[in-house]
Amino acid sequence: MSNATETELRAGHSTLGRQVALPVLGLAFLTFLATWATTFQWIDETRTVLGMTVLTLFGVALLLMAAGVAGIGVLSRFGFLDTTPSPTAGLPVGIVFGTLWAFIGMAVSLQYIGNTIVYWGPIAFVLGAVGLLTATLPREDIGSTVPSAVLLAVLGGLIVAGVLDATWVYEAEWTGAIFPGSELIPLLVSVATLLGVWSAGKAKEGFGAQGREVGAFYIIGTVVFSMLSVLALLIWFIVKNGLDTFLTGASLTGGHLNVPFASISFPFIEVPFVTNVTGSLFVETPGVMPAVVGTLWLVFGAVLFAVPLGVGAAVFLTEYADQGRFTQVVEVATNGLWSTPSIVFGLFGLAFLVPRISGGNSIFVGQLVLGFMLLPLVLITSWESIKAVPDEYRDASAALGVSKWQTIRSVVIPAAMPGTITGVILGVGRIAGETAPLLLVFGGAPYPSKSPNVVGQFSFSTEPPFITNQALLEPASALPYQLYATITAGVFPRPEIYSNQEFGWGTALVLLLVVLGLYAIGVASRLYFRRKLHYE
Amino acid sequence: MSSNTVDTDQMDSQLTTSGETAEDIEDAWSDYQFQGEAKLSVEDLDVYYGDEQAIQSVSMNIPEESVTALIGPSGCGKSTFLRCLNRMNDRISSARVEGSVEFDGENIYGGRTNLVELRKRIGMVFQAPNPFPKSIKDNISYGPRKHGDLETGLLPSLLGRDDTAEEMDLVERCLKQAALWDEVNDRLDDNALGLSGGQQQRLCIARCLAVDPDVILMDEPASALDPIATAKIEDLIEQLAEEYTVVVVTHNMQQAARISDQTAVFLTGGELVEYDDTEKIFENPESQRVDDYITGKFG
Ligand SMILES: Nc1ncnc2c1ncn2[C@@H]1O[C@H](COP(=O)(O)OP(=O)(O)OP(=O)(O)O)[C@@H](O)[C@H]1O
Ligand SMILES: [Mg+2]
Repeated sequence: MSNATETELRAGHSTLGRQVALPVLGLAFLTFLATWATTFQWIDETRTVLGMTVLTLFGVALLLMAAGVAGIGVLSRFGFLDTTPSPTAGLPVGIVFGTLWAFIGMAVSLQYIGNTIVYWGPIAFVLGAVGLLTATLPREDIGSTVPSAVLLAVLGGLIVAGVLDATWVYEAEWTGAIFPGSELIPLLVSVATLLGVWSAGKAKEGFGAQGREVGAFYIIGTVVFSMLSVLALLIWFIVKNGLDTFLTGASLTGGHLNVPFASISFPFIEVPFVTNVTGSLFVETPGVMPAVVGTLWLVFGAVLFAVPLGVGAAVFLTEYADQGRFTQVVEVATNGLWSTPSIVFGLFGLAFLVPRISGGNSIFVGQLVLGFMLLPLVLITSWESIKAVPDEYRDASAALGVSKWQTIRSVVIPAAMPGTITGVILGVGRIAGETAPLLLVFGGAPYPSKSPNVVGQFSFSTEPPFITNQALLEPASALPYQLYATITAGVFPRPEIYSNQEFGWGTALVLLLVVLGLYAIGVASRLYFRRKLHYE
Repeated sequence: MSSNTVDTDQMDSQLTTSGETAEDIEDAWSDYQFQGEAKLSVEDLDVYYGDEQAIQSVSMNIPEESVTALIGPSGCGKSTFLRCLNRMNDRISSARVEGSVEFDGENIYGGRTNLVELRKRIGMVFQAPNPFPKSIKDNISYGPRKHGDLETGLLPSLLGRDDTAEEMDLVERCLKQAALWDEVNDRLDDNALGLSGGQQQRLCIARCLAVDPDVILMDEPASALDPIATAKIEDLIEQLAEEYTVVVVTHNMQQAARISDQTAVFLTGGELVEYDDTEKIFENPESQRVDDYITGKFG
């Protein structure tokens, strides 16, 4: 309470600090983005903006940041700004700066003096010590601004002065690698801007406890932002490369939606790349439908196999088995199974299941193998979530004269459902994109001319095994399998329509959409069960 | 363990100084005769948690269609004793029960007791409210549904047996009995975890009533309730005693005095010190220790 009023009282005074810190933050953030854009070559580093090359612009930005940050620190130290610094910036900060400076000393002396520890050792040590001491000895407002300002200024100054430019090359003796300036400088600048963000964030709140919190918040925020950007970038990359293929011949109303059991049809979205078969010579636009269907059948079969078995085993292990050595061993074994490489599962399927079940690659064996891979994760997650169901529920149910099995069915399993579904979501994400075992036990022609007709091929008999399904016993194609075949062997049969690359990117985009779709189904059903369990 | 023995010793010496011996007390109430039939008769009951003894050879008869209060200091074994009466102690792996409890003349600790059936007939309300993470309505109809007394949903309605109306009647009746209806009748489909602690406890009572047991065991049913809700629950208990056998644990002396017909006093170490008509216990107990406990000097 008193803290809040104090900040309010002080706000008038520290406005100057804020006014300097905010533009520095903004500038640092923009520079951070620009460095990554340069790294990914969306911005050409030789381009001139405002009469300077992009790299020079980075240098100027760093100098401005350095001036701003150091300015606040110094003004605060001499009492011109009303701030609340601690006596020191603290040892962790000192260690970070010490390490940074030591590393810089090492890298520089390795390049310009030589690969002898006699030279770079002492230099690194001295610079490290200086970094450590300048960060920890002065009061916090100096200790957390000046060291980073010096770093920013040195880097910025070297860039502006033209010592570091696109043609400069870092080529130290100790490594055969060479780092051209055009690539290295953006990276260095982006690290430096992180320091700037941290210092300016602290300065903005007037240092002290609040400053530290905000400084950390900005650093973490920037890192999280970068992570999300990487994810977005990945998706964007696939979409960009795959979209042309994906949209070949697509239109909003060209398709037909047939109403079942009535001869009416409505205009509908048309995406031939998704809905067409791949291998037939008569299709105008070869599509990925057979592979989509193959992938969906694989996932469906694996889930159908693994979920009841996994949940059942989890129920047995928590509710019926004695807790002890046996359950511990099962737990260890399950974790081990989850970490087993998928190609090993594939090999097992090839050596054991294929000869016994289908005599050759088949959808069914693919489903089983992926099911085996999914099983341990489903078992672990549902086990954990059943353990987490409070005993009070079981007691309450027992005291109402309800049998154990009914209690498990109507209280324990519903309460454990969200956790179990989380496991299934994670597992499905893994198996839907799995390629290695499919190569061994599942894949047939990568570009089939028809989708596997599983539904239509069930036939019943009075002799064991009573139900057979010819389609399940035949090989098929799946999206990752098809992608692998296209990219590695480069054998897409209709080069006059799509190149291997185009077809591959299109397949990748569809695979991404299928996985995201499965993910959405999983998340939605988890939400449904959570809603039922909690008051929302 | 050892502290337990010391405690008992101290009590004994206390007893001797107040001029009584254990046998005296034993004699004083062991021929206690209530009116009516015994619904439950407990004979030489010992309960151990591991090596620790929580109940020491307790014998008592609990009459039907009345309220029996169990009082005593915290940790003296009231909940443990109560759990013996519907064999909920079986669910605690370290617990071991010796002796016998007869329910309508049949030993529930004898050979082939059907625990599910037993607990249908001896219901229980726990010390801490424990509603299911389901809707208020489903909490109440849970028991009857699982027993097959209520069938709703798609399949039963296809088979021409849909008890939705019965279910609503049951829910309303039980909630009214537990003095909760007025507060929740407009949100029967909301999750029960959204209720306040006191409301949850009353829901648990309603849930227990829905199964229509013969005996209702209540472990401090009013400990989380405000005076108004407590008064309602006390009314309910007295009203239940016309049809049911109620055994209620309470820390509240006045409450025991108000609602119960007979009172059993447990003291530290898990022994039953005195058991008699409630009036007798509160006005003129045989045992000095019980007198001290009731007047707040000891315990
Ligand atoms: N599950 C258990 N495992 C081991 N010991 C237990 C367990 N439950 C109870 N005890 C022990 O048994 C003794 C009696 O416990 P109990 O819960 O019956 O007391 P209580 O009279 O109900 O007390 P309160 O009034 O505080 O509820 C205590 O010493 C307790 O520590
Ligand atoms: Mg208790």
